[in-house]
Amino acid sequence: MKRRHVLIAILAAAWSERAAIAEARRFRVAFANLNEEPGTSIEGLGFSGAEIRRSFELASRGLPLDMIYYDNGGDPGRALANAADAVSRNVDLLIEYNSDAEANVEIGRRLKAAGIPVLALNDPIPDAPLYTADHLAAGTIAGRTLGQFAKENWPDQTAVAAILGDVADPSPFVAARIRGVTEGLREELPNVPPDLLDSAGHPVRAEGALAKFLASQTRRKVLVAALDDASALAAKSAIETARRNNDCVIVSQGASRLVHGGASEKKEIDPANRGSIILGSVAYYMDRYGYEVLPIAMRMLRGEQVPARTPTSHVLISAKNVFREYPPHDMN
Amino acid sequence: MRHVSIIASVMLTTLGLLGSLGVAQAQGDCKTLVKASPFGPDDQTGATNRITPAVTKAAAAEIQTGVVIPMANNLVDGVPLFGTRFTKTILTTASLVPGAEYGKNKLTYMEDTYLSQSHVGTHIDGMGHIGIMDCYYNQTPMGKFVTQNNLKKLGLENLKTFATRGVILDMVKVFQDAGKLKTNPACKTPCLDGGTVITEADIQAALKMYNVVLREGDAVFLHTGWGDLFTQFPAQNATYNGSEAGLGKAAAQWLADQKVVLVGADTWAVEVIPSEDTNEAFPIHALLLTNNGIHIIENVRTDLIAAEAASSKRATFFLSMTVPKAVGTTGTFVNIEAIR
Repeated sequence: MKRRHVLIAILAAAWSERAAIAEARRFRVAFANLNEEPGTSIEGLGFSGAEIRRSFELASRGLPLDMIYYDNGGDPGRALANAADAVSRNVDLLIEYNSDAEANVEIGRRLKAAGIPVLALNDPIPDAPLYTADHLAAGTIAGRTLGQFAKENWPDQTAVAAILGDVADPSPFVAARIRGVTEGLREELPNVPPDLLDSAGHPVRAEGALAKFLASQTRRKVLVAALDDASALAAKSAIETARRNNDCVIVSQGASRLVHGGASEKKEIDPANRGSIILGSVAYYMDRYGYEVLPIAMRMLRGEQVPARTPTSHVLISAKNVFREYPPHDMN
Repeated sequence: MRHVSIIASVMLTTLGLLGSLGVAQAQGDCKTLVKASPFGPDDQTGATNRITPAVTKAAAAEIQTGVVIPMANNLVDGVPLFGTRFTKTILTTASLVPGAEYGKNKLTYMEDTYLSQSHVGTHIDGMGHIGIMDCYYNQTPMGKFVTQNNLKKLGLENLKTFATRGVILDMVKVFQDAGKLKTNPACKTPCLDGGTVITEADIQAALKMYNVVLREGDAVFLHTGWGDLFTQFPAQNATYNGSEAGLGKAAAQWLADQKVVLVGADTWAVEVIPSEDTNEAFPIHALLLTNNGIHIIENVRTDLIAAEAASSKRATFFLSMTVPKAVGTTGTFVNIEAIR
């Protein structure tokens, strides 16, 4: 019994020493970003690659990390070259954000051979922990919100629903978002299957598609699930043009700066704008990825076990909570 | 009978309105949310209590040459502002019209109307500026002390003098010497880039650079170089307002522990933006103002005094800054001078 206690004490001391060394040590971590080309909307949600990279720069400020940044440029070849460079620089860990499945398999293989751990962002890499948006859950929040609004505010009226955005995008993420909206709506309103209105990723086309839909639904209440914030703003414009403000509401996806605003920018979702027909936008927090992902990376670097999959905690950002979730700094 | 019911209905409506007004305040338990003042339960003066005659007398020893260094930016339309804030000056020149002169000596006059919010340009944040829910400095439940026009507690009229010793901390030099200066390309002179956290170790390094030991009652100013963007207005207003280098929480707490009376900087918030914890709003403001009664001075012109300190190897000066007795206000523009 005594020997067992001694053994435990030795193991505990060794572990705490190892932890202390890991705590004191600085690590070299590479982050290969999906695409930093200006104008590129990451996952179609209105965030830029620069915003994602900046979140890593800011989140690493208080951590013992020396960061190396790569831009994959949306190109699998470049992603492979960046991974090769990270291997040659003998980084302690690579955070990989690359949407090409084949390239990800190869990146995983090369890093494994080099003995460098990988943390995948949004797109899986074999045997690597994954931090990812949960598009299905996010879509469900949007669908449920619209359904609940209709039940509470239009209990005796006929409602129709539409999903507006780049609905034909072959990305499984978009398909998951659409499925989530549909399921969330069905939970609240079993007899209101949503129509799909395709914008092909262009807000102007989104406005036109919704205008046409509104013209065909003159005596009905309309629930619009926008797949991104740009489509939501286009939908709002179409509704205002058709003077249908009183019988339409919108819930969006993304909660990018387009709707919550930054310094001195227009804020569509704002406590001072509670009457907006945009009820809210489901947050994806891509502009905070660094704050979510780097703590997982630190745990891996310290030799701790991390979950195989860590999803984003999506919430609906509305006028009620926007200042809590995205504290503005333009009051100072 | 009908009269009675109308009166009752009006009374109920009024009571309901009063009730809803009460609920509209973000009420909290001020004794748990905010620290008590070390100067007593009735204190509305905050850290300027520390500027005693002895502190002012000791600070006067800083005046050795009589050279005065300006530390305020010009108050002029077009400087960086947030949101719906604005400044507008209107000059009244009516008596210059021929025939409108006064008396046989033909006296004329002019005056200005200055329209602006109070927190613009080089300005002081008073203790009525920042709170946690409705709890402000010294556990004051501010909801009970606000009217449509002003504060009934914690207004600027309660402050004592700022006649004390000033200390300039040249963070640009600290970061340069440590080989970690990452400047912003929009700055024409070296500056700490937006988001750079100033730590306690950085402050200690700045003090050591000129052999300064902080004293109770000191006024501390940070030179980050970011003020260079302010002087480029309006061209760099968006960059200036977009972020800034500034105090992190540990550094701010350390300064508070040294019992300083104010912290100023050549930035718009003194604290690092974005904050270390991106979910928090202005945590350093709450730490300094709300919990410690330490004033914050923003948009200070620090480049001249930093250059003077570098050439003379002396970072201390006599601070000249007066705050108007503007009753019930949360802040005001100030002029600041460093007397050497």
